[in-house]
Amino acid sequence: MSYLIDDNREGIQHLLMGNEAIVRGALEAGINVAAGYPGTPSSEIIEAFSKIARDRNIYAEWSTNEKVAMEVAAAASFAGLRSLCVMKQNGVNVASDFLLHLASSGTRGGMLLVTCDDPGALSSVNEGESRLFAKLVEIPLLEPGDFQEAKDLTKWAFDLSEKIRNLVMIRSVTRMSHASGNVKFGSLPDTNAHAEYRFDGPLLDMETGPMISMIVAAPELQHGPQQEKLKKAAQLFEDCPFNTYNGPESPELLIITSSACTLYVREAVNLLNIEDRVGILKLATTWPLPPNLIKRNLMRSKAVFVVEEVLPTLEENIKILAAETALETGIKTFYGKHSGHIPSAGELNPDIVISALTKILHIDYRPVEPSFEQKTAKMAATMAPTREMTFCPGCPHRASFWSIHNAIALDGRNGFVCGDIGCYVMGTLPGGYSTVKTLHSMGSGSGLASGFGKLKQFGIEQPVLAVCGDSTFFHAAMPALTNAIHHKSPFTLILLDNSGTAMTGFQPHPGSPFDVMGNTAEALDIEAICRAMGGRVEIADPFNLTETREMLNYLMEYKDGAKVLILRQACALSPERRGKKKFDVSVDESICIGENCGCDRLCTRIFGCPGITWDTEKKVSRIDTIICAGCGVCADICPAGAIQKKEVA
Amino acid sequence: MQRFGSRELVENVIRQNLCIGCGACNNLCPYFKSYNGKTTMLFPCTLPEGRCFAYCPKTEVDLDELSAALFHKPYGDDPLGYYRSIMMSRAGARAGHGLFQAGGTVSALMQFALEKRHIDGAILTDRKGIEPTPILATESKDILKCASSKYTAAPTLAALNRAIKEGFGNLGIVSTPCQTLAVAQMRLNPLQENTFRDPTGLVIGIFCTWALDFQAFKVFLSQRIDLAEIRKIDIPPPPAEVMEVFTDCATIEYPLSEIRQLVPEACSYCIDMTAEFSDISVGVMEGRTDMNTLITRTDRGQRIVDEAVSAGYLVLTDLPDENLEHLKWAADNKKKRAFAKAEEKAIVNTPAGTGPSYLRINHATLKKIRGE
Amino acid sequence: MNSINLDRDPYSIIITGVGGQGNVMASRVMGSMFVTNGFSVTIGETFGASQRGGSVMSHLRISKKSSWSPQIPRGGADMIVSLEPIEAVRVLAAYGNPGVILLSNTRPIFPVNVIKGEATYPAIEDIKTAVKNSISHAIFIDATEEALKMENPILANIIMLGAVIGLNILPLERDDFHKAIAERVPHDKIDVNMDAFDLGTRLVRQ
Ligand SMILES: Cc1cc2nc3c(=O)[nH]c(=O)nc-3n(C[C@H](O)[C@H](O)[C@H](O)COP(=O)(O)OP(=O)(O)OC[C@H]3O[C@@H](n4cnc5c(N)ncnc54)[C@H](O)[C@@H]3O)c2cc1C
Ligand code: SF4
Ligand code: SF4
Ligand code: SF4
Ligand code: SF4
Repeated sequence: MSYLIDDNREGIQHLLMGNEAIVRGALEAGINVAAGYPGTPSSEIIEAFSKIARDRNIYAEWSTNEKVAMEVAAAASFAGLRSLCVMKQNGVNVASDFLLHLASSGTRGGMLLVTCDDPGALSSVNEGESRLFAKLVEIPLLEPGDFQEAKDLTKWAFDLSEKIRNLVMIRSVTRMSHASGNVKFGSLPDTNAHAEYRFDGPLLDMETGPMISMIVAAPELQHGPQQEKLKKAAQLFEDCPFNTYNGPESPELLIITSSACTLYVREAVNLLNIEDRVGILKLATTWPLPPNLIKRNLMRSKAVFVVEEVLPTLEENIKILAAETALETGIKTFYGKHSGHIPSAGELNPDIVISALTKILHIDYRPVEPSFEQKTAKMAATMAPTREMTFCPGCPHRASFWSIHNAIALDGRNGFVCGDIGCYVMGTLPGGYSTVKTLHSMGSGSGLASGFGKLKQFGIEQPVLAVCGDSTFFHAAMPALTNAIHHKSPFTLILLDNSGTAMTGFQPHPGSPFDVMGNTAEALDIEAICRAMGGRVEIADPFNLTETREMLNYLMEYKDGAKVLILRQACALSPERRGKKKFDVSVDESICIGENCGCDRLCTRIFGCPGITWDTEKKVSRIDTIICAGCGVCADICPAGAIQKKEVA
Repeated sequence: MQRFGSRELVENVIRQNLCIGCGACNNLCPYFKSYNGKTTMLFPCTLPEGRCFAYCPKTEVDLDELSAALFHKPYGDDPLGYYRSIMMSRAGARAGHGLFQAGGTVSALMQFALEKRHIDGAILTDRKGIEPTPILATESKDILKCASSKYTAAPTLAALNRAIKEGFGNLGIVSTPCQTLAVAQMRLNPLQENTFRDPTGLVIGIFCTWALDFQAFKVFLSQRIDLAEIRKIDIPPPPAEVMEVFTDCATIEYPLSEIRQLVPEACSYCIDMTAEFSDISVGVMEGRTDMNTLITRTDRGQRIVDEAVSAGYLVLTDLPDENLEHLKWAADNKKKRAFAKAEEKAIVNTPAGTGPSYLRINHATLKKIRGE
Repeated sequence: MNSINLDRDPYSIIITGVGGQGNVMASRVMGSMFVTNGFSVTIGETFGASQRGGSVMSHLRISKKSSWSPQIPRGGADMIVSLEPIEAVRVLAAYGNPGVILLSNTRPIFPVNVIKGEATYPAIEDIKTAVKNSISHAIFIDATEEALKMENPILANIIMLGAVIGLNILPLERDDFHKAIAERVPHDKIDVNMDAFDLGTRLVRQ
């Protein structure tokens, strides 16, 4: 629906995703530059900008990594423009080095850091928290509580940033970013903007001096003023229109919440029908907390229930204020994470809030009859087998991991793969033949492998491999590979080059011949880079199973230094392959060995492409032509030649 | 013979260091593969009984059942197995020339069998560099190319299984004693498959006291010379006690005492020196590098030897008595040592129901072997 | 706009299926049909990693008042639309209640553990019987088979949408769909989508 985002009719309503609402808010604020690195659930933001970039005179880019994205956006701010950088929570870790310095130097044009956290790690390898960074680097933190607010708060944040001359962090979560709701549009400003970087003024002059973060042994010069900015933000937050209270003057229980939890709380209160017993203080400005506003509200009730996701960040900050104002606000009973009413791991939902409220307020509540619940639960348990994650039909990674698994098994020295971030995290699962044995952050597979490779001196004999995608390579694996090549660490880096950032939906990266706005771009040649770095480089097509496996075994035995095998094949969902079958694939039932000695269902039991199914009655495998992507790889693993492929004309 | 599957094969053979890498379990299905001389199971198979287990010469080898099938009597106590005649032999004038190990008997007989269409192809062991590589030979020149012994254990039977899959049904096979055992077990159709037919037209066993572990041998050599420079490897007959490695510019000798360290544990359980379940067995002649010892065991073997002689492919002479005595002594030694070792490990005649037994043998013969 | 009124506020609809079935598209189309009719809509979606062979679910909350939780509370669904039969069973257990209206496609998409033989997939007749034994409004449609007849299995989601509207329970009409789909697909694809929609409507009205 992104094409609706720049609808210039004031007052019109559209159904927008939270991410799109943030974009609309930035447009209404007259944003000029947006940069980010793809990561679920944040990716739609840069994509939406790119679609209207030309019309709205905006520069948008997918940067090489989150730190670079923040630097690109900061440059715009230094030159007086409005900008934002966007990333998922793990990306803030990557950007954090620059973030600390940027918060210290301050900004000029309004600048936002938009982070989309993923409580419950629905599409992440962890549910790390970015809110604590705001406290750590001393910048304001804003959290929208619904879709309209995602737009309005974003616009408001630009003004705030310019008022305090520092970066402002907006934190969304999956259930806000990826959920949609009605958003009423405001007007769009005109799109003229002029950039100029001024640096002639005195050092540390926010308006005209050079932008530097340099307080060697003189914290009072820069750190002090930075903290003043934060105090000013707290003052402005006292009147922030997005902090609201709803409920009786003096409720039995004061609920303090923010972000998507606001919606869960509203739902729970509505279902339990306790509008007259509880009050809801919904905060949009969660760091620094506006002390007077909090104090005023704390006085309403003796019992306070803080509802938030993951760590008790808000809860602890509230408790500090409660302690400081205890003489006036009185002794409180706190409910939340420390009391065990709300879990500190996993995302929340209305049911968790309902169950906490029923305990706190001693309410008896049953959403459905137990007999119905039992009956349908039993039905689901017996009739609905779980769906484990696996690679898509026709995915090159399945073929790659098949060969990697077999090469390691044949090699016989207990070799292992250090994993990395991308679709290929599924290399840890049976769908990737459980080949991957370490998994951490972007690029760390190569770094770990570089380290493992140097343990030969302590007697390790296991061959070391690492995988990494093309986008991950540019993002963070290059320094690790540099390290390994320089130190002659013997490992094999398998570069799973599927020509795009597949996991998050095909964003271009530095190896792509075009950028996010569709302009032609300089495509960096991974192969040439690795060669120039001094690595031994080979290339294979993962769909050629024999060649790939043999090359892997060869490289594993080849002792010297770091080796790179580029496995090049486009993702099954990529624009060039999606919906286009290379082969018509079918199973000749008369040849299929099935469960008998000689096969034991290799294709369905082990290989596991969802395009092949097992006919339990006829005891033969067959191709589900709706699901099969026509890659033809299964034809090459069948020991009987029963799976036959015919090139599509 | 009890029937089991891949799980037992991995547990009782591969994990117990009994696997010699003969290749009998390779290429039957996608699961067992040989690489660098080692047999590996790539993915688990769920079948409780399989050909992989049934063919393996290192588990559930029922010597009496095999004897009964080939020679119509229980396994006996002659250290050379059952045979019809023992002679001295060499390749005749009609046979092509090759780098024979000894008299070229093996290559000559296979050429004859192929050229006269007794077989449609021959399963032999070629080499790539120092790595023994199994092949299917369908022309005489390929047979000659495979002449000479590769001293490492080889997955020769992987090529047999592949050829069967490709539709070959009448094959010649040159196999070491362990491989010959596996072939004999295959011929029994152990899984009672309806579609089964005996794939062999002629089985020539070659004598063997031990073979080297390929991986260990490769490491040994690569630590001493550049593998790419090796042209030929030979173990001259006793009393030399060395292995000779020929490179372009030199011949390097390694004492056999050092080389024997590279013999895998699996060989020490092998009870067979002369490939007792073949049609014809061939070894070197002590003191005569140009001649072979030739044991003819079956009717089929006898017919082919006779015809090869009259067609000029093979030349026979009598074997001196003292050579026969010595051969029996050597074979008996190997058998006694191996049985002692296997019994120590309690893998002979283990009661049914307690899992697989390596060997099954009648008590009378076992007692004689033990010297009781 | 037709004269139907929703009997609950928020009215909660779940559209479920398996990654790649066009679930997200269906929920967005339905959502914007409601927005056009003056409703406040909240859609919660589970996609991302779960797209890869996993279950995909969209929660729609339709209200005259405000935004609601993008996650429907347990037992809180008023209508379940499923593009895959066992997903209907799964959602019924978590979000169903005796009064829920369930509309499901019959074409199975086998989970990998079923393909591997570690789990079994029930016969479609058994699924139908079990579902019909627990709720009184359950309708099964061979949407994928019908879409295959149109030579484009992906249209199953549109056939299902047509069926939903055909039930005459939601205050939405064919014209709303036309408007919503026209905003989302290329011009030359509008007709085939309308055909699929009409087919779905006919199927439930038979
Ligand atoms: C590992 C090994 C150990 C041996 N130990 C003894 C011994 O202790 N005493 C003895 O008398 N003879 C032994 N031999 C047999 C001997 O070396 C000759 O192979 C045999 O005498 C035949 O000689 P030939 O001239 O007829 O062979 P050729 O005509 O040269 O033919 C040799 C044949 O052997 C086959 N072959 C070569 N290497 C292997 C291998 N690794 N595995 C399976 N087949 C192979 C080839 O396919 C070829 O057909 C051994 C052979 C091998 C391979
Ligand atoms: S791999 Fe081939 S023979 Fe085996 S079950 Fe699949 S189609 Fe049949
Ligand atoms: S050809 Fe085989 S491996 Fe490829 S998508 Fe189709 S079923 Fe899957
Ligand atoms: S000895 Fe031969 S059959 Fe037995 S496991 Fe080893 S390679 Fe396989
Ligand atoms: S039982 Fe048959 S299919 Fe299974 S591993 Fe053995 S040979 Fe292969």
